[in-house]
Amino acid sequence: MSILVQRSDVGEFRRRYRWMVLICLAAFLVLFCRLVLLQVIQGDYYRAQARRNIVREIKLATRRGVIRDAEGRVLAANRPSYNVYVVPSELNLEQTWPRVVQFLGAQPAEANLLRQKIVDASKDDRRKDQQLLLLVDVDRDVVALLETHEDELHGVEVVPVPVRNYPHGEIGAHLLGYMREVDADDLTELESRGYHPGDRIGAVGIERRWESYLRGKRGSRKTIRAKRRMAHREELEAKYLDEPRMIRPVPGRDISLTIDVELQQSIEKAMRGQLAGAAVVVDVRTGRILAASSKPSYDPSIVSGGQGIDATRDAFRRLYADPLKPMLDKTISAAYPPGSTFKPFTALAALEEGIIDSATEVDCHGGYEYGRRFFRCTGVHRRVHLHEALVQSCNSYFYAIGAHERMQIDRLAKTGMSFGLGIKTGIGTNPEARGRMPTRSWYVRRYKGAFRGGFTLLSAIGQGAATVTVLQLALSYAALANGGTLYQPQVVRSIETSDGTIVQEFPPRVKRLITIDPGHLSMIRSGLRGVVHEKTGTAHAETVEGASMAGKTGTAQVSHVTPRGVDPGKVWYFNRDHAWFAGYAPAEAPEIAIVVLVEHGGGGGKNAVPVASRVVRDWLKLRERERTPHQTAREAANEEEGT
Amino acid sequence: MVSPGRISFRSGPQIDMVLLLCSVAIATFGIVNLYSATSVYIESSRSGIADIYVSQVYWIVVGGLIAILAAAIDYRHLERLAYFFYFGGLVALTLVFVLATDIRGSSRWIQVGSFGFQPSEFIKILLIIVLAKYLHNDPRTEPRKWVDLAVPILLTAVPAALVMAQPDLGTAMIYVLTAATIIGMVRIRRSSLFWGAVIGGTVVSLSWKLVLRDYQKARITSFLDPEHDVTGTGWHALQSRTAIGNGGLTGSGFMSGTQNQFGFLPDQFSDFPFAVFAEDWGLLGCAALLAAYCFLCIWAIHIASQAKDRFGAALAVGVGAMIFWHAFFNMGMAMGVLPVVGITLPLFSYGGSSVLTVMVGLGLLMNVSMRR
Repeated sequence: MSILVQRSDVGEFRRRYRWMVLICLAAFLVLFCRLVLLQVIQGDYYRAQARRNIVREIKLATRRGVIRDAEGRVLAANRPSYNVYVVPSELNLEQTWPRVVQFLGAQPAEANLLRQKIVDASKDDRRKDQQLLLLVDVDRDVVALLETHEDELHGVEVVPVPVRNYPHGEIGAHLLGYMREVDADDLTELESRGYHPGDRIGAVGIERRWESYLRGKRGSRKTIRAKRRMAHREELEAKYLDEPRMIRPVPGRDISLTIDVELQQSIEKAMRGQLAGAAVVVDVRTGRILAASSKPSYDPSIVSGGQGIDATRDAFRRLYADPLKPMLDKTISAAYPPGSTFKPFTALAALEEGIIDSATEVDCHGGYEYGRRFFRCTGVHRRVHLHEALVQSCNSYFYAIGAHERMQIDRLAKTGMSFGLGIKTGIGTNPEARGRMPTRSWYVRRYKGAFRGGFTLLSAIGQGAATVTVLQLALSYAALANGGTLYQPQVVRSIETSDGTIVQEFPPRVKRLITIDPGHLSMIRSGLRGVVHEKTGTAHAETVEGASMAGKTGTAQVSHVTPRGVDPGKVWYFNRDHAWFAGYAPAEAPEIAIVVLVEHGGGGGKNAVPVASRVVRDWLKLRERERTPHQTAREAANEEEGT
Repeated sequence: MVSPGRISFRSGPQIDMVLLLCSVAIATFGIVNLYSATSVYIESSRSGIADIYVSQVYWIVVGGLIAILAAAIDYRHLERLAYFFYFGGLVALTLVFVLATDIRGSSRWIQVGSFGFQPSEFIKILLIIVLAKYLHNDPRTEPRKWVDLAVPILLTAVPAALVMAQPDLGTAMIYVLTAATIIGMVRIRRSSLFWGAVIGGTVVSLSWKLVLRDYQKARITSFLDPEHDVTGTGWHALQSRTAIGNGGLTGSGFMSGTQNQFGFLPDQFSDFPFAVFAEDWGLLGCAALLAAYCFLCIWAIHIASQAKDRFGAALAVGVGAMIFWHAFFNMGMAMGVLPVVGITLPLFSYGGSSVLTVMVGLGLLMNVSMRR
């Protein structure tokens, strides 16, 4: 049957066929070229990309180094804490999730928030296969529950994360420092050094200064992201993983300090009656810091995040609002006028210049006239020589030195600076205040050309513009005690591997040898001894029994500017002068230098002396014990492990 | 048995062995590849997916039977029934809106018994037939004006608008491109071409503003700027490119491509089977597959050029164009040279409606070839 009458003209189409063939060929050629580009030219790139897709690198946590005191007692260590992660694509929200909520003991509102977080992540192709951080520092009981039911909780992972822990709490907190989480700014700089978001880094103190040693190095382990073919995991790993498949983590170095935590505790105890202050004990034979304390303090475990982020935030809010400035390391980060504790250095300068000798006598009638001004003394001391002037802290005697035509303010500054006053010590744990030994040119600059002789008189008694830090003063008294050796302060004695092998030791370093005439020095030291041991001595009455020491009291005048946020009823406290005691012990054959500053402790050093003498007494006891054979805590621990 | 390549068929029409072998080769590649693409699921809880290559074989067998039917009945009968089929198809397409089941936010399926079918797939064939009929009945010697093409444009625009509303951008695009290829066979005035381009541009930009859904826009923008978004749509394109690149020159080997085996390829049995193939077989395998598709398309043009009437020629070009645009777009999107729109790869992608449509198309091609 003829269905269709041939009536169409096929010719109209004919001219198109060649074009169609050409277009078709061209199109497939384009695709072919693209394939050559993808598969051959960029093949290596995409092969690497595909490999990255299936290989998962698991970070292996390292252990931060432990910080110990001189006797091997732990000052900073790590406590295990547990974070809960989920893998959204593997977690069954209908069956597994309610069990998880039950084990976590989460409130419905909280549970809903967490659930939403998981749902959001599971919608994202990139994130759904990755660990999602759900909760930090989960309770031990919860961890135990989750781990017992591990088999039923597919897609839930409990990951141990060590948290920094400071067993001695507030004791020595400023020196040790604390940890903080790295922020985005740090990361731009630190990412190349292996830091990741969420990592913790030493914020201040030893933790910050020795971060690179303490930190350690993360390890890693490669695994296959086998979602469906778990059965052949080993086979797959052999096929797809490059060597090395595992890099072991390197634990951080342990650090042994020169600090004696018992001495540190003794300071803490002796300061109990005071609101704020600082104290430093240095070994005069080495420059090693045996104790350094700043009050009020803070608990580094809490501010390091050991009790959760809320506790940390609250702690910081409270600490920064406190007018007593608990976050400030008052041993090195703040400078105070040295007051009368500077007098030994004035005396040394005068002796060296030949302005005074042991026979020089000044008549103190309660002060000193200089030009049209009257410079007050602490009392009426009558006829005083150098010895009595130091013992009774007679200002008039030192005003006379300052007023002498051959005594320049620069000479006083030079002596002070040769003992390290007004110069950064370079201890490096915390930001250091430089302090100041004012010179003539400093005053000229400061007061627009008007230098007055009275400035020299003020400098001679340690007032005026002179400021020092507690640590500087301790090192300078150590130099007085050891005959003129100014040491570089040291707080780290050695660095060890985690098994106790010493990697690096830090021998004492002398900063400068100060030339002092032995005759001059013995005059000064006899004066300093008299301050404590003679009836008329300014420290005599407050010194506790059994503390053999020598030193000088002092008053640091406070400018009457009330700090912000202080209750008006407490202004009287903030207007009180600071009390100093700087000295060394034992008086005859000194081994330690001690400086105590009681903030707003009142004039004449009354409140600083008992603190210092109690610490010295405790130190003497500790020294007694040390001389009898004993084990350090580290040795004891090692022995226990061995048995 | 007369000459090689031709077998006598009831002493009348001859089977086109080239077309047959080429189709069988592609279908075989397709089934083998589908096995690899779904082998991931063998040991999983969704092991049902691992068996879809068997269903694909069933569909190809069923499609083959229909294709024999489509080849056996003289294509010129279709000419008379063209409008009847066409409007029937439109009715089915409209019914989708009433009866459809939602899949991923778009309704394309009508459920009949235990399996669903997609009217929008079959419309492709019906559109080719109706356009072929129109051109067959409208022979001219002088170049055509704009108005002369109003009817075929309308015939294309109606189903295209309907599938756009489903929404199914890819299928609408296939309609338009296939129809444009068929209409492109006739001579058109230069000025009409110019205005066509202007109006086309306006329609595209208006539809961007008014018709396209956000996810469709996202696919296109992420294609234009792939680095911008590597988590959403761009992610699929990136993983597909990675799979293809991972294949290298010789491929990872059958069922050994990691991108596929570890589940990084999205829709690996419907939208991205080419990425699976490229990863397993490398550039060499891909070259063979490209050659097969290219040859099939050129052979369709060859059949058209040999056709004895305008209807047959337009029919052959239409089927060839349909296969060409599907293959070009699907592979192009897998390679990252074209945006990701859901267009299947003929005989490679899993899907009953898609397989049946292609098989019917091949049957018609055979039909024209046998009756030159």
